[in-house]
Amino acid sequence: MTAPTSKRTNTALLVPLVIGAVVAVALGVYGNLHSPTGVAVNIAGFSSTQAVKAWLATVAVLFAVVQLLSALAMYGKFGNAPAWVGPLHRWSGRLAFLVSVPVAMHCLYALGFQSFDTRVLVHSLLGCFFYGAFVCKMLVLRHDDAPGWVLPVVGGAVFTGLVGLWLSASLWFFTKSGLTF
Amino acid sequence: MDRSVGTPATDSRGMKHPGPLFTLLAGVLLAAGIAVANAVTGSPPPVNTAGGAPAPAASSTAAPTSTAATSTTKAPEAPARADYAGHVDGGGASVAVSVRDGHAIAYVCDGKKTEAWLQGATAAGRLDLKDAKGGSLVGGYDAAAVTGTVAAGGKTWHFTARPVTKPAGLYRATPKVKGKPARVGWIVLPDGSQVGILTADESTAAPALDPAARTATVDGSPVTAESISGLSGEGDF
Repeated sequence: MTAPTSKRTNTALLVPLVIGAVVAVALGVYGNLHSPTGVAVNIAGFSSTQAVKAWLATVAVLFAVVQLLSALAMYGKFGNAPAWVGPLHRWSGRLAFLVSVPVAMHCLYALGFQSFDTRVLVHSLLGCFFYGAFVCKMLVLRHDDAPGWVLPVVGGAVFTGLVGLWLSASLWFFTKSGLTF
Repeated sequence: MDRSVGTPATDSRGMKHPGPLFTLLAGVLLAAGIAVANAVTGSPPPVNTAGGAPAPAASSTAAPTSTAATSTTKAPEAPARADYAGHVDGGGASVAVSVRDGHAIAYVCDGKKTEAWLQGATAAGRLDLKDAKGGSLVGGYDAAAVTGTVAAGGKTWHFTARPVTKPAGLYRATPKVKGKPARVGWIVLPDGSQVGILTADESTAAPALDPAARTATVDGSPVTAESISGLSGEGDF
């Protein structure tokens, strides 16, 4: 089963990679072409849209940390992994993804792809990259015959992307506005 | 994760591990739901892509209705005082907007020939600004951005501009060129770049402004520029 990776497996792995790349580019193109509205639906109870986004992203990053730890556990880095680590990894990932979607929708719909300063450019690029990488990761999961390094690399890219997004927006917001809700 | 399950590696890839696909599907559905909610309740600025001057009466009555109809939507927080500056979509011009206590002034400028100073009252984060020559700016603003459509000199641009603080922002000067009164407008962007137009007998690119000292040299003489800022309350609107 883990015979030398066949050429066919490598070709099959190109499919998730290409689809992920298409998603990333499509998000960037949409964000650039769509005329930003400046406003979008908001969640009641927060002082501003920015605060909502900053806190949702923070929740997503906390789930992402759970992702990292549970992934390390699944790969035996903390000794024998208990049976619940797999479900924990799957569900924390799903929740992180779903929590991030409203944030991304606001970015895309109300603000668009912007490049007026370095932070904003980095954030725009990372946003496109993150969802492309995430789609790629989901599709790679379905290839049992992928080489062992593929999932950690793609998962690591997803994690790095999300943390970068958080640093370039939520952390920036908190340093500017304090820990406001 | 799933790979640890000891299923034989058959090639029936189609129905294997549907979980990740459901995850993606859930995300897409959630995004679609938000998009629908945005389209229904998010009141975007009345964008007039048909060209020409937008009908002010229509836009100013339509906007409050759609906002009032969405009780679950929080009105975007409109700051009492703010300054914004940025490029229009496509980068063909720059726009600066200053808001102060119910009034707003905006300047749009392509750095070559086309410019307009637009003014008007604001209400609940809505902008409906005009100049004397048929130019207009219609849009909305909140703490994060001003966005809308500006028409000047026969051109129409969409734009989104972020809040800025000094030295970025809007500047104006009224020097004399060959003894005749002239007018200069500058927009200084957060990255330090600037565009401006000097209008004497005709409009040309403005000389460089030193935003820190607020000085420029026009027609060989030093002039002092006035900062137009809603945030700091400088300049007449």
